[in-house]
Amino acid sequence: MTADTVLLDIDSDFMRPPEQVMRLDRMGSSFPTRLSFMRTLIRRMSKENWKFERTLREVDKDGHGVSIYSASTPSRTYSLIAFTQEIPPEMRTDRVIAEVWDATFNLFDGIPSQEDIDYLANNTPKQEGGRYRPSELVLARANKSLRVFENVIASLAEGAQPDLDLLSSVGYLMRTTAVYGSGKFGCADRAKIADREECRAPFQMELLAVYLIRWFTIDSVEELAKERGGEKAVKLNTNTRQFIGVGNSTGLGMAPFLLKHPALIHNWVVAKETALARVRSIETPIQGTLEVFLKSLLQVSQHVDEWNVDDDVQAHRISCLTDEIQALRIWCEDESNIFRPYPWNGIYHYVEDNFSLECQEMIVSLIIEPHGSLVDDLADTMSTTLIPKFKADMPLTQLKAIVKDCYQWATTIDFSLEESQHHFWYYSEDKLEPRFGSKGVDKGVEQEMPLAIGRDVHDLDEMLSETKDEMFIAEFVMLYPQFRHIIRRIQNTFLRPYSEVQDNLLGESMRPLDLLRFKLAFFGASKFDPKSDLWTRISMYQGAPMPEQISEPNHDCWSFPIVGRSQSYPCMNCKCQKAI
Amino acid sequence: MSKSDLTISLNEILFYFTRAAFGVNVPIGLSEDFAHSNIWIAENGFDPSLCSLEALNNLDNQVSSLAIKFEKLNESGHFFCHEDKFLSALEASVSVVDWIEVSTPTDELKISNVDAPFLVVSAIGANQCSGLTVSWVDQDKSQYQVNFIDNEIWEIISSSVNPIELTSGADMLITSFDANDNIPQGSNIKKFNVTKAKLKTLNNGVQVRENWQGIYDYFSRCLVKSSAESRASGAGAGMVDTD
Repeated sequence: MTADTVLLDIDSDFMRPPEQVMRLDRMGSSFPTRLSFMRTLIRRMSKENWKFERTLREVDKDGHGVSIYSASTPSRTYSLIAFTQEIPPEMRTDRVIAEVWDATFNLFDGIPSQEDIDYLANNTPKQEGGRYRPSELVLARANKSLRVFENVIASLAEGAQPDLDLLSSVGYLMRTTAVYGSGKFGCADRAKIADREECRAPFQMELLAVYLIRWFTIDSVEELAKERGGEKAVKLNTNTRQFIGVGNSTGLGMAPFLLKHPALIHNWVVAKETALARVRSIETPIQGTLEVFLKSLLQVSQHVDEWNVDDDVQAHRISCLTDEIQALRIWCEDESNIFRPYPWNGIYHYVEDNFSLECQEMIVSLIIEPHGSLVDDLADTMSTTLIPKFKADMPLTQLKAIVKDCYQWATTIDFSLEESQHHFWYYSEDKLEPRFGSKGVDKGVEQEMPLAIGRDVHDLDEMLSETKDEMFIAEFVMLYPQFRHIIRRIQNTFLRPYSEVQDNLLGESMRPLDLLRFKLAFFGASKFDPKSDLWTRISMYQGAPMPEQISEPNHDCWSFPIVGRSQSYPCMNCKCQKAI
Repeated sequence: MSKSDLTISLNEILFYFTRAAFGVNVPIGLSEDFAHSNIWIAENGFDPSLCSLEALNNLDNQVSSLAIKFEKLNESGHFFCHEDKFLSALEASVSVVDWIEVSTPTDELKISNVDAPFLVVSAIGANQCSGLTVSWVDQDKSQYQVNFIDNEIWEIISSSVNPIELTSGADMLITSFDANDNIPQGSNIKKFNVTKAKLKTLNNGVQVRENWQGIYDYFSRCLVKSSAESRASGAGAGMVDTD
C-alpha cells in the first residue's frame, strides 16, 4: 500500500469531508480503532512472535530498586529499565513540574551493560533534570494509584483476588505522567530508528515502553504480594491481569505536537477515514460481520457502564451514549434496517442523523472493527518522512487561489472580536511546562507559541489581497518575512486536506481537551477521564494480551474491554469467535 | 540543560535553535529555517552553536540586519543590506535558497557583507541543493570554497586552518560547480559524506560547547515567567494528584 493508493480513496463518495471530520467537537469525541497505534504494535508482536523476559529484579522488600524487562523482536532487543523509590504522598502530581515519581523508566536500545544501568540510575530518577544518550529511546515516569496498588497487594497477599469494582473504577495500578521520545533530553532521535520495521508506524517505541511498564506494574504487585504473604499469596487470575491497563495523565504538551505536524495528522486521519469509507462502501456484508457488530453493541454497553468520570460534561455524554447504544440495538433488531444492501452505510447514516457525536464516533470504531482484512493495510500509511519545504517559485496568484479555496474556515473568522483571540499558548519557565493563557489576564502574550494557524492564514489573506498578482513568493517573503511560516505550511498542506484543525484555536470556547482526546484515541487510549478542559486521564492497553498471551489467536480482540472478562467480542480475523 | 559541554539530539537543536532565533525577534518562519540549517551543521559533525551564536548576537546588538534587497544584473543576482550593517545570515541564507530555486543553473549570485557565511552554506546543504560552489574571503583574508558536488558529497577547500564556522563578514559568490576548477596549492581540503556523517551523529549525539549557554539564554526569552496564578491555572491540573 502506498500513499498514492490511499489518496485515490479520498475521492470516494463514502469519505467524510475534512470540514466534517477536522472540527474540535468531533475530534473531542474520538475513540480508538483497530488502526490505533497500540493495536498495530500488538499485532506486530504477535505476528513476529516477540519474546519477553524479566532479566533483572534487584529491589528491597518494598519493591524499591531497579528492574529490567526485555522485548526481543526477530532482529533486536529492547529493554525497559525501571527505577523505583519511596516518595512522600504529597509530592505526587501529574504535572510536568513534578520533581519525584514512584517509578521512572528508560526504554534502552539493546541490552544494557552494568555501566549503562549505573549511568541511568544517576539520571532517570531526575527525569527532565537528567541527560540521556542515543542509546535511550524513551524516558517515562509513573505514580501509583495508591488505593488500587495497595488493595491489590493486600488481597493477593491474603490469597484472594482484588476487589473488581475498585479495580474497574480506576482500571490500572500505576499512571504514567510523561512518556518522552524522539530526541527529548538527549534521547535518540526518531531518525535513528525510523527505518526499522517495528518503528515505521508512529510512536511504536513509546508505546512499547508503555506496554512494558504495564507488565512491570502487574509483575510488581504480584512480587510484593508474595513478599508480604509468603506461601499464602496468589497471583492475579488471567482475566484480571489482562483487564488491568496502565494509566496516563495527559496535559497540554500533546496539543502543540498535533499542530506542528500537519502532514502526519493528515496521514492518520485519512487512514481512519479511508477505513470507514471502505466499510461503508460494502454492498453485501462479509459473512458474519454484521453478527459480530450486533454482539459488540452488547459489549460496549457494559464498557460504557464501567466508564465512570467526575467531569460533568463527559458524564452527561456518557449517559447520553448509554441511551443511544440501547436505541441503536433496538433499531438493529428490525432486520430490514440492517439486512439490506450497503448495510454499514445505512447504520452509519442512521447514527449520524439521530445520535450524538460521541455515539457516531464510537460506531465508526465498531463498524471498522470486524473488517481487519479490509483495512489493516492502512496502518502502514500512517507515518511520514516529509520535511516541509518552502516553494519560492510558486506564483502569488496560485497562493491566493489556494487560500481562497482551501482555507475558508480561517479567512471567515472575525479576528477583530475579542472572543476570537481570547487565548494564547505559551511555555512556562517552570520546566518548560506548556500552558494556556487568557489575554488580559495572564502574562506572556509576547512569547505566544506560533500555533494560531487560523489567525495567521487570515492575516496572510488580508496582505495578499493588497498585493499585486505579478510577484513570486520569493519576493513577497523578502518584503513580509512574517508570513514565511504560514506560506510554507499552506504549500505543504493544501493537498493534504485532513491536515488542519478547522476551528479557531484561540477562541474563548476552545477546549484543548478535544485535541488531546483526538490524539490519544489514535494512540489507542480508552476511558477518557477529563479533569479539566486542559488535561485528562486515560487507560492504555486495558484488555490487551499480556506478554505470555501475545501468540494466542485472540491477541487482537481487546477493544472496549470489560472487567472480569478480558475477551472482547468475537473477532473475524483471529476466528476466536467466543460468545459474549 | 543550560550548561555547556552537553551532548544534545537533533530534535533538541530544532527546538532550541528555532526559539533562540525567535528570542532575538526573528520571524518564526526564518527561525525554523535557521534551526534546520543548524541541524545540517550538526549532522556533519560541527558544533552548531559556534557560528550561530555570533549571528544571533549580531542581530541582538543590531550589528546585523534582516533587511535585504535584491538587484538583478544581467546573468547574476545580488543580495545586500541597504542599512549600514552586516546582512544577517539568517535572512541571507533563506533568500539564497529561494533564489536558487527560481534561478537557472548558469546564474551567479553575489551576497554582500554577510555576517556568518557558514550559515548560508548550511542552508544550501540543508535544502539539498547540489552542483554549486560557494566562495568567499573573510575579514581575516582567508579564502573559503565549499563545493556541493551532489546530494551526498560536499567539500571545503580553504586557505586557513581556522574553523569555517567562525568565518565572518564576507562577500559571498555562488556559481555552478565545475569539477575541472583548479584547487590552489597549499589549500586544506575536507570532504564530507552527508549520509555517513548523519548516521554517526544519530548514534553519538551532537557535542555543544561553551557557546551553547548563549543559545540557551536566547531561547529562554521565549519562556514566560511563572506566577502563583499561572502555576495553578495555566496547565489545568492540580498540584497534588493522589488517588
